[in-house]
Amino acid sequence: MEAARNTLQEKSAHREQGNTPAIPGCFENGQPILVEPDSDFVRRIGRRSGDAFMKCMQCGTCSATCSLSSDVNPFPRKDLAWARWGMKDRLLRDSDIWLCYQCNDCSARCPRSARPGEVLAAIRQECIVNFSAPSFFGRWMQRPQFIPLLLGIPVALLALALLLVGPIEDALGITRSLDGQILFTYSSMFPHWMLNSFFAFFSLLTLIVVISGILRFWRAMKSTIPRERYVNPARGLGASILSTLKTVFIHDNFDQCTIARPRYVSHLCVFFGFLALAAVSLWVITAKINPMVRGDFIYPFGFLSPWKILANLGGIALLTGLVLMMWDRFRNDELVGPGSYFDWSLIATLSMVVVTGFMTEALHYLRLEPHRHLAYFVHLVFAFTVLIYLPYSKLAHLVYRTTALVFAEYTGRTSVGGVNGDNLLQRDTIDAEEQTKAVAK
Amino acid sequence: MNASAKPILVIGGGIAGMTAAVEAAEVGYHVILVEKEAYLGGRVMRTHRYFPKMCPPTCGFEINVRRIRQNPRIAIHTMATLESITPKARNFRAIIKVRPRYVTGEYSIDESLAEQMTSEREDDFNLGMAKTKALYMPHPMAYPHTYVLDREALSDEDAAKLRESSPAGAIDLDMREDEIEVDVGAVIVATGWRPYDAVKLDNLGFGQYQDVITNVIMERIAAPTGPTGGEIIRPSDGKKAENVAFVQCAGSRDDNHLPYCSAVCCMGSLKQVRYLREKNENARATIFYIDIRTTGRLEKFYYDLLEDEHVTFIKGKAAEIHKDSGNGDLTVDVEDTISGDNLHQKFDMVVLATGIVPNLADLKLPIDLKYDEYGFIDGSTGIEGVYAAGCAGHPCDVSRATKDSTAAVMKAVQYLNGGE
Repeated sequence: MEAARNTLQEKSAHREQGNTPAIPGCFENGQPILVEPDSDFVRRIGRRSGDAFMKCMQCGTCSATCSLSSDVNPFPRKDLAWARWGMKDRLLRDSDIWLCYQCNDCSARCPRSARPGEVLAAIRQECIVNFSAPSFFGRWMQRPQFIPLLLGIPVALLALALLLVGPIEDALGITRSLDGQILFTYSSMFPHWMLNSFFAFFSLLTLIVVISGILRFWRAMKSTIPRERYVNPARGLGASILSTLKTVFIHDNFDQCTIARPRYVSHLCVFFGFLALAAVSLWVITAKINPMVRGDFIYPFGFLSPWKILANLGGIALLTGLVLMMWDRFRNDELVGPGSYFDWSLIATLSMVVVTGFMTEALHYLRLEPHRHLAYFVHLVFAFTVLIYLPYSKLAHLVYRTTALVFAEYTGRTSVGGVNGDNLLQRDTIDAEEQTKAVAK
Repeated sequence: MNASAKPILVIGGGIAGMTAAVEAAEVGYHVILVEKEAYLGGRVMRTHRYFPKMCPPTCGFEINVRRIRQNPRIAIHTMATLESITPKARNFRAIIKVRPRYVTGEYSIDESLAEQMTSEREDDFNLGMAKTKALYMPHPMAYPHTYVLDREALSDEDAAKLRESSPAGAIDLDMREDEIEVDVGAVIVATGWRPYDAVKLDNLGFGQYQDVITNVIMERIAAPTGPTGGEIIRPSDGKKAENVAFVQCAGSRDDNHLPYCSAVCCMGSLKQVRYLREKNENARATIFYIDIRTTGRLEKFYYDLLEDEHVTFIKGKAAEIHKDSGNGDLTVDVEDTISGDNLHQKFDMVVLATGIVPNLADLKLPIDLKYDEYGFIDGSTGIEGVYAAGCAGHPCDVSRATKDSTAAVMKAVQYLNGGE
């Protein structure tokens, strides 16, 4: 019926000149959208997606091919239209751009080689810069000439902290005696209290940026749907979060890729490797205040301690995943996409974290002085880099994608979790009659 | 005109080549027409009707045949290909290879003789959808109206029968391949086209599902001389096709296949929608398109169909076709880009509007011409005295092809008279 009605609309549009057919995305909550083209945005998206998206002829192959897109108002064709029109504001508020996992089935089928998969990745990058304050960090993350500055900041901060260890300890009267319960063999150079407070402080800063980003992003997405639909969500917030976490853990969206199938495996490795290492780090940092830590806590762990085994397995998984990702980007760049600077910088940073981590471990067991301390310092710099730039780097996808997935579940947009039937909620086209009224106003 | 001018060699006996031949001959030039099939008329003869007038191709064909017959200046070689063309001063020497027909054409053959044959061959005129006897008439309107013998398909038993048959001399089972050497003054390349291989469109199911057919197959199915006698039925079970999808740009305007627009498929499908609607008033048709390209006066042909309640136009390129396990219906996955919804519509039969590939894309002529990246001769052939017409130059319909032919003859005549 829907199709028939639209065809009739088009037929009449053909006959009566001046009667514009209904174009989705022209209206939002019943009001026409004022298009304010951002030509710099168009150029940036072009540069980062292979300069081909202006060739898009809006045939809809991408939307119909995508296995994650819903049947109502699907992506990515509409997003390519908005991108071509420079509608940055509308695009950054669209949760759909985060429902895409860039499996590139659309890019492979695109009759114009417009690379919709790469275009959506470039838009997501813009989204990160836009919602993570202050935005200059995000902009720096996109250009190689800022590498020295971006790496210089963590080096300087860590070095400063280490230099201040002595004076602070003297001023506060802290003694370096072992307290009997916790043994840190590195404590002469990297005292536990310093690393703890240092990382805890910057984690807190990062968390503030992340939370403010989530809130602003949520508000932005909320503005794309009518109020009454928002106050009567498709499912509760708790249920949406739970179902999203399940999706994230089992990678069932990645699983639907056909062209770039290897992405599923590589991302799974990186994801669980990262998680394991984060868990071990958290365990170590919180050892002093953790009631679950009983008896002597010896750090670095012995090689056969369960935590060390978990860390080593995590490191291996992370490294394997990263190598697979690099391999894919080199070998299948036609299908998987060659990857942007933004994408590669995260892969490189994470790789440095793992490589320096393993180096430190090896040098430590070999008891090589002062090499192990030097390696540990470099490792700390890279780990710190990942932490403080999390909201601005590609790693921010874990924040924004998760938020968008929760929003999509909440509003019934997503097909994940089987709420397909309710996704009419996010339809932003309205009846032709209403549209005419809106235009008249 | 230049009375001593050498003949014009026309390569290809389809609508473009036939037109070039009669146009040149009627202004007084000698023409040698070379056709690789056993009959003239080419691809156009295999269509059911022409657009936009909806007349059968035979009516225009008959007129051309009469003009050829009446004109002593046209020499036709069917089942013939070019072995070589060598530029010589301002002329060309061509060697034409003629495959044996095994039928001399000097005595008429009675239809009953062909009927007696037991050996059969694939009917290539009907795109392999039917069989003919090993001794066959390519199609009812074939010109030259002479039987052809498929020696490879012929059984020993049938061969013996043919040796005894009368009249003696009608069939020569020992006929050899022939070579003809000619000097010509100019060459017109009218080598035509073939449909894009739809099997390469792996997302659209041709070759996997019997009821996914191509537009050229649809022409034969709709034609009274075709394998179904003109009944539009679906190949899998012979059920009347009542709900048919037409998928435009099947290969054309696609970087993964043919990046260019094939120019005729929109009109072709609209024409085929009319076949369907004229033959069955209950039939429904849905056309999936990127843009409907009906330029100039052809626009009316499209507008008239928009009035038909049984015809639906959906703006969106069909992305995937798959088959239901139950009743065997086909589902087309597409985004309706006007409403912005993904649709999954069911049909009895799907017709893919496959595009035009120049025959020269892989079958090169024995002379070094200038081709574009797709194998078309774009503008100049790179050799003075050699001109292209019809689909050898670009995808085009009959009316455009014949205008090309007139233009190519004009250039050839200028060249023969000392022009560039």
